Amino acid sequence: MRLADLHRTTSFRLAVLFLLLFGAAAALLCTFLYMQTRNYLDRRADAVLLEELAPFGGLDAAELHQLLAAHVAMDPHLHRPITLFGPAGEYLAGSQVGAQQFHVLAEPTSEPFTFTLQRDGRTVPFRGVARNYPDGRHLLVAQDMASARAFRSLLLESTFWGGLATIVLGLIGAVAAGAGAVRHIEGITRAVETIVRGDLSGRLPTHGHVRELDRLAHEINYMLGEIERLMLEVKGVCDNVAHDLRTPLTRLLAGLERVRRRAGSKNDYAAAVDEAIQEIRGLLKTFAAMLRIAEVESGARRAGFTALDLKQVTGDVVEFYEPMAEQKGVALTMADGAGAPMLGDPSLLFEALSNLVDNALKFTAPGGRIDVRVLADDGIQGIEISDTGPGIPADQRDAVLRRFYRAEQSRHTPGSGLGLALVAGVAGLHDMAVRIDDANPGCRIALVGPRHSQD
Amino acid sequence: MTRVLIVEDDPQTVKEIMAALHDHGFAVDSTDTGREGLLKAAAENYDAIVLDRMLPGGLDGLGMLATLRTAGVETPVLILSALSGVDERVRGLRAGGDDYLTKPFDFLELTARLDVLLRRRSAAPQRETMLRAGSLEMDLLTHTVRRTGKPVELLPREFRLLECLMRHAGQVVTRTMLFEEVWNYHHIEATNVIDVHIGKLRRKLDPDGARPMIETVRGAGYILRAAG
Repeated sequence: MRLADLHRTTSFRLAVLFLLLFGAAAALLCTFLYMQTRNYLDRRADAVLLEELAPFGGLDAAELHQLLAAHVAMDPHLHRPITLFGPAGEYLAGSQVGAQQFHVLAEPTSEPFTFTLQRDGRTVPFRGVARNYPDGRHLLVAQDMASARAFRSLLLESTFWGGLATIVLGLIGAVAAGAGAVRHIEGITRAVETIVRGDLSGRLPTHGHVRELDRLAHEINYMLGEIERLMLEVKGVCDNVAHDLRTPLTRLLAGLERVRRRAGSKNDYAAAVDEAIQEIRGLLKTFAAMLRIAEVESGARRAGFTALDLKQVTGDVVEFYEPMAEQKGVALTMADGAGAPMLGDPSLLFEALSNLVDNALKFTAPGGRIDVRVLADDGIQGIEISDTGPGIPADQRDAVLRRFYRAEQSRHTPGSGLGLALVAGVAGLHDMAVRIDDANPGCRIALVGPRHSQD
Repeated sequence: MTRVLIVEDDPQTVKEIMAALHDHGFAVDSTDTGREGLLKAAAENYDAIVLDRMLPGGLDGLGMLATLRTAGVETPVLILSALSGVDERVRGLRAGGDDYLTKPFDFLELTARLDVLLRRRSAAPQRETMLRAGSLEMDLLTHTVRRTGKPVELLPREFRLLECLMRHAGQVVTRTMLFEEVWNYHHIEATNVIDVHIGKLRRKLDPDGARPMIETVRGAGYILRAAG
């Protein structure tokens, strides 16, 4: 997006629209003010004129002429002319305004009217009111309106300049807002281009001038973060799959090549074939586990949910592992507690719990103990398994739930590194969370979900 | 001789299954489409059918199976499938399958399961109250076990384990079959745990110095020798 596209930005358009609306409103207001002011000035002038005309009502001719002479002396520059005219409009006495034609319709005084006079070579506007006498003469009282007119044009001028300033400032504001949006969008476009080119660590700029865009950018950035995390996870899984499969495949190949090279007895071949079968079984197991995790994570297994009691499944798992624990000299006990009815896949839950008990057995030394407890408190239900093994360091508790992750100290024990990933998947499928903490000493793992009603 | 029909479209898999079943002592026939499989199964009297779920040419495994059952053919069918979900399994069994095996599978698992299907078919349907295998007696009503007349104390789970082995006496029972039948769950990787259970059972059953009645079949499972 270029600056030439400014007029197409929403910000710019909005600013211009507001400018137009504001301008129209301001113009209306100014017009109204102007009209009111003009009318007020005219009305005030008219009132003064009528007041001035009033004293001339009851005077006789001598008094009138005397008064007019006094007024001419007081107003030599014709600012407030008062003149007496004959029936044909000829000048009789008072201020020298020259002959004037009046159309005096109303009696005894006319409506105020506007006329012009030549004074010092200039046309000057006057406002006047006339009084008719019964003998046909009439008296004009007028006022120079030049200063009032000057005020009016001043008002018009200031309205004009004010309006112009508003338009210019408004346009500058619109351009600034539009340009800010354009720059912001350009920033976002560049960031998106970087991301599209493959740099997933790129993020959209969020310090623009448009709040809404910022919020959107924040949301998109969060989404990008999630995508990056998932991509890294997938990449990690791929790397691990490659590694975890290459190791047994290398052993398989090496074993087969060795027996081919040495070409011993039939028994040697049979042993090599058995070894190969073992390796391949292991590989297939890894694949099956990965597929099942994928299946569990996809949520497709929810279709096979049935009503079950978590306590029943847990009891079965404990019973399943009892002889094994006995053989190893580890005390495996299950605390008595309330039932925990829920909807779920019994086989998956059995497998997940088996993995947990199996792990606990693997890491608990003879003489240790493993306690299994079904949690069925207010609002939550789940299973808690604590052992007296070495425990899981706090910084690895999230990592152990990932596929193929194997803690440093467990690297030499048998296992695929998929057990806890399956546990996490199964827990997620059943709306349960995996919680790992310290049993001091040992590890305490719990699968905790919302309590299901007893219906 | 036991005759088995294989309906499977991958020639290599067919070859291997045929070889395995042949080695096990079965006469084997094969076809690669559902349509042909349906015709053969209806026309000839097979003892069991091994059926792949995914078949080319319109009629897939489950479709063929449903048609077969509608036509009144009750030959035991073992379904092979790459689909492992519990619901897939349920769908397979609901369509009329008698057992369901997920690819990849051990051939020993396949033959052991076929043996069970064939035995189930030939066994008398009446309810047994007494199981016997050599010197071993199991009373299903009183839940007691005797070896050469002497009572053997067993925990409920051990009793069920032994019952399963005795019902299939003389046949290989794989660890997964034991797990499914005795514990009623599917999928278990920790099959070594079952070995421990069997070990305990053995110690209770066999008097000191006697040859163990429950033999381990390498890479497959266990077999209870009736002659023991």
